[in-house]
Amino acid sequence: MSIFGKGRKKHALREAGWGYSAICGAIGLVYFSPVLWIILTSFKTRQDALATPPAFFFTPTFDNFVRVFYRLTSEGEQMATGMGLFFFNSIFIAGAGVLLAVIIGTSAAYGFSRFPLKGNDTYLFVILTTRMLPPIVVIVPIFLMFRITGLSGSYIGIILLYAMFNLAFSVWMMKSFFDELSTDVEDAARLEGANEWKVFFKICLPQLKAGIAATSVFALILTWNEFLFALLLTGNDTRTVPVAMARSMGGQLGVDWGLLAAIITLFLIPVFIVTYLLQNHLLRGVTFGTVKK
Amino acid sequence: MSALKVTGLIKHFGDVKAVDGLDLDVEKGEFFALLGPSASGKTTSFRTICGIEAPDSGSIFLDGQDMTNSPMRDRGVAMVFQTFALYPHLSIRENLEFPLLQMKLGKAEISKRVGETAELLKLSHTLDRKPGTASGGEQQRIAIGRALIRHPELLLLDEPLTNLDAKLRHDTRAEFKRIHRERGITIIYATPDELEALTLGDRIGVLKDGKMVQVGTPDELYEAPDNTYVAGMVGSPRINLIDATRKGTDANPEIAAPFGDYSGGSWMQALKDFPIGEQLIFGIRPHEIVPVENRADFQGPTFDAEVHMTEPLGDVVILDLIANQSRLKMVLPEEQATAYQVGMKMTCGFDVGSTQLFAKETGTVIR
Repeated sequence: MSIFGKGRKKHALREAGWGYSAICGAIGLVYFSPVLWIILTSFKTRQDALATPPAFFFTPTFDNFVRVFYRLTSEGEQMATGMGLFFFNSIFIAGAGVLLAVIIGTSAAYGFSRFPLKGNDTYLFVILTTRMLPPIVVIVPIFLMFRITGLSGSYIGIILLYAMFNLAFSVWMMKSFFDELSTDVEDAARLEGANEWKVFFKICLPQLKAGIAATSVFALILTWNEFLFALLLTGNDTRTVPVAMARSMGGQLGVDWGLLAAIITLFLIPVFIVTYLLQNHLLRGVTFGTVKK
Repeated sequence: MSALKVTGLIKHFGDVKAVDGLDLDVEKGEFFALLGPSASGKTTSFRTICGIEAPDSGSIFLDGQDMTNSPMRDRGVAMVFQTFALYPHLSIRENLEFPLLQMKLGKAEISKRVGETAELLKLSHTLDRKPGTASGGEQQRIAIGRALIRHPELLLLDEPLTNLDAKLRHDTRAEFKRIHRERGITIIYATPDELEALTLGDRIGVLKDGKMVQVGTPDELYEAPDNTYVAGMVGSPRINLIDATRKGTDANPEIAAPFGDYSGGSWMQALKDFPIGEQLIFGIRPHEIVPVENRADFQGPTFDAEVHMTEPLGDVVILDLIANQSRLKMVLPEEQATAYQVGMKMTCGFDVGSTQLFAKETGTVIR
């Protein structure tokens, strides 16, 4: 008998046996361990966080989480750290940027897929080239553009930048989803009296819920974790969490690992929730078109 | 009055001529079958007739009105796509309602028509499911339902049975006949399958390379095909087309086939115009060839052949014969065919009057 479950039959598709489940569990744990490490650290005191060998059993404390939002001044008074605003900024900027990118990207992709221009592929390629350069290469001209136009440090500036940043990806991904749809279905709708708006909103878009969800989540994760543009182009009021996180690393006493881990743990939650809510769509979106319908 | 009249319709896609000067005239209430192999222009003709594609030239008249450049929704034409084109995100009920909502009908009228159509097509029990969960036959019926529910003047069916299995095909074919009879609408039915065309069509139009080759009733096409293409498309098993040459004298023409010289067919008079030595094609339907026991008793010409292969089809058997190196098929009832085994020699006969003759160069009939 194999370790892969009792009486496993040839070619039978069924629940995995204990053996496979254990192997998958172990691999999953390896992938998850850095995240687990951070989450554990966020509940540790400074001593526990720095202990060698690392402490796996310790008395958890919520002190770090409190210090994310309040710190003690030299006079011993509690003072807000502004981190609440930075969390709001991250959510607002990433949400608006992704929304904009997905709306524009979906419309553009529909155009590219259904009403191809002369030289359609060239246009698509040009759009993709915007993502071929590493951000660091374009940061100087972008910084200057933002300075001149006064967009520097404003919400609208960074939101537009993130929308632009995600647009290439959205257009390409959504175009591949539109290409998968049967044009017969759209022609049938036109024949039955639907105008172009209805064809797009009532026939095409509802079929691509999964694709839109997948595109949004990928764009969101990229935007959520973005650091370089946020560092240079946001101001005190529009700062996002990754930048704030980097700033919290200074101090006379070295890196405050517990505090940092607490910020990261909180920072994980929104993406985690969004991905969890959309996971069914996400899977369908990623595997869309791989199986003949 | 004609429900649809198409004249000189041309449609290119790049360098490809999909429809090449199509003429079509379909009577009101007629069941017209458009027969042609894939890429003969059936789908493009349909898409142009209902307005999805704009023609390069030619005109389309619906009910006597020029609709060549009218928007799709004004044409009153419904079409069932080969792929069914169901809306996968809508329930079957919503699929049926969609065209009615576009027509801005009232709620009561919509639910009345949905009920009627579901009843007609036996879909009542599935209305709240998504099309993806329906069987192939049900999906087919939803597609038809969505077309019928608009009460169209003209219904175009584009190879509607291609995606169904053999049994369903048979049942659905009968269903089309019933719907046509009950609703009395004009139907044009595109198919690559001659059996579907012959059983369904009041008249059949045979398409080749985007052109109409011949239009006629099933009998006309079977008895008197205009060319070898139509002769080959209509009738199963396929007509035997055998190379032959013009022989005899100017006044008394004969043809020389590999297994004998013949004269006396309906083509005799016309054959006089062809020079001696002209290459011809001699056509004999497999059903017209009969086994001959005694040559003296048989009225028509006979020839000797060897049984090369047998294809039993249940009630009939197709015999593959070799007669002086040319191959031909004949059909016998099963009980009669058991006497003939592979490798056996036999004598066959046929009636010259039922044969066809074609010019080899052009493929057109000589009669």
